[in-house]
Amino acid sequence: MIYRGLELKEKIISSIIISVATVSSLLLLAMLIFILRESWPIWSQIGVSGFLFGSSWRPLNTPPEIGILSMIVSTMWVAGGALLIAAPLGFGCAIFLAEFAPRPLAAILRPVINMLTGIPSVVYGFLGAAVLVKFFEVKFDLASGESLFAASLILAIMVIPFIVANSEAALRLVAPEYRHAGIALGVSRQYLTLRILVPLARKGMLGALVLAFGRAMGETMAVLMLAGNTLRLPGSWFDKGEPLSALIALELGSTTPAGSHYQALFAAGLVLVLMVIAVNIGINLLLNRLQKGG
Amino acid sequence: MKKAITDQLLLGWFWVSGLLILVILLAIIIYLIWRGGPFINSGFILESPGGFPLGTEGGIFPAIKGTLWLILLALVISIVPGLLTAIYLSEYGRSGRLAEIINLLVQSMAGIPSIIIGLFVYALGVVTLGWGISLLAGGLALAIMVFPVIVVSSRDALLAVDENYRLVANSLGVSKSYTLYRVIFPRAVAGITAGLLLALGYAAGATAPIMVTAAAVIASSSGALLEPVMALPYHLYILFNEHISMNHAYATALVLVGLLLFINILALSLSSLQERINRH
Repeated sequence: MIYRGLELKEKIISSIIISVATVSSLLLLAMLIFILRESWPIWSQIGVSGFLFGSSWRPLNTPPEIGILSMIVSTMWVAGGALLIAAPLGFGCAIFLAEFAPRPLAAILRPVINMLTGIPSVVYGFLGAAVLVKFFEVKFDLASGESLFAASLILAIMVIPFIVANSEAALRLVAPEYRHAGIALGVSRQYLTLRILVPLARKGMLGALVLAFGRAMGETMAVLMLAGNTLRLPGSWFDKGEPLSALIALELGSTTPAGSHYQALFAAGLVLVLMVIAVNIGINLLLNRLQKGG
Repeated sequence: MKKAITDQLLLGWFWVSGLLILVILLAIIIYLIWRGGPFINSGFILESPGGFPLGTEGGIFPAIKGTLWLILLALVISIVPGLLTAIYLSEYGRSGRLAEIINLLVQSMAGIPSIIIGLFVYALGVVTLGWGISLLAGGLALAIMVFPVIVVSSRDALLAVDENYRLVANSLGVSKSYTLYRVIFPRAVAGITAGLLLALGYAAGATAPIMVTAAAVIASSSGALLEPVMALPYHLYILFNEHISMNHAYATALVLVGLLLFINILALSLSSLQERINRH
């Protein structure tokens, strides 16, 4: 009897755990469905291509003009640009930590990387706007120094720690035999790293980069404080722009629920989240192929 | 000869990018202390914003209180689902099909931009459920944001416990829940706490989700669930963006970064403690 009771208790506990785990993980899908529902009128009235490729954003006009091409382009410039700056430094630092750093220095650098991820994006944005933008204004004699480039620069600092942590892990996964063979053949440490270790770890390192790209696309505060927030289609990296995340954060508070402005912001949110999810699925496919040794 | 030069250049690249990380962190901290330090005193910490426009004088006490309320509420909401999901993944599901799916969902959730979570909670809590801009909505948004952090860190802490404990307990006929509660959990508690601290720090610094769900320019932050609150990161944003006070903006940033670095260092030392436990 006692044994029976215990068994029942175990059953109850395990089913509670299973249901909580399932329900809370399904929250992700609930979020997506909810955002899709709130934005539905936009998709049915304006259409996918009209919304994605329309370059004029005047949601309060009658009839409203709702197209987010400028924001999509801004998001791509900012995130892509951040990666362009962060990749060489992040990879360099990862290689340094994995292969070249003296032990005591590496022991200092690892927690430092951790702490850099702990600094919130609003502080990066604030410092970028207060120091970097000011510097651009003085140095290049600009009326205002905000630009997609400034946002990329600060964003790069924010994603470097993620690139470093993930690519260092990838480098460390390379089997030690390769290292030993390289050293036995008498090649230089640099040659060994660049020609043997990096190619072997390249998928993991690419994964790190893709992950950083996803983060950069979704980043809000720093971008909002640095990109300049104009609704025109940016022509270059040095123009101002307003990425999707900044658009949502800035305008959501001033909308009326169920108005087309409100719906349009949810549609923009859906586009952003689908872009990030596409990147994440991409990286998972990549990592699966890596695990299978492909 | 040419090879040697290339090697030297490469070495230079590695060293420069490695040291750059250190330089950036030091530069941020030193600059914040230099610009913000002189304005931090007991009045700044313990008083409400004053002057005109509001924030040019006085302090940031309601913002500190509001941030503490927000992260506390976020933790209260997320800790049980987070821990149970982690326990499922490490103890019950393991490598089953459902666990695989949940792992994937949690991982994707970690990648969702925080502003999207704000957007969702705005529609659900602020508008549909009629909470308005409130502590409750902000706490919920932050809870959703830190949920995957709690799951992943606790799962990994639990998985790191030596498998032999489970095998021995099982062969002695000890029930699964008892093993978990009395054997596995105590051996992972340092790592789990470290993960919770990291989640708290992450929530304390988040601005975008609370900007659309909870934050007000001025509020008493009494802890009432349906009232808006002030929060440190949002206060910093307002001080700078509305050109209220650069000095107070630097001081607020310093307080925020100080708080987060403290939490971070605490978490790091707990996880190294956990590593020592795991090795025994």
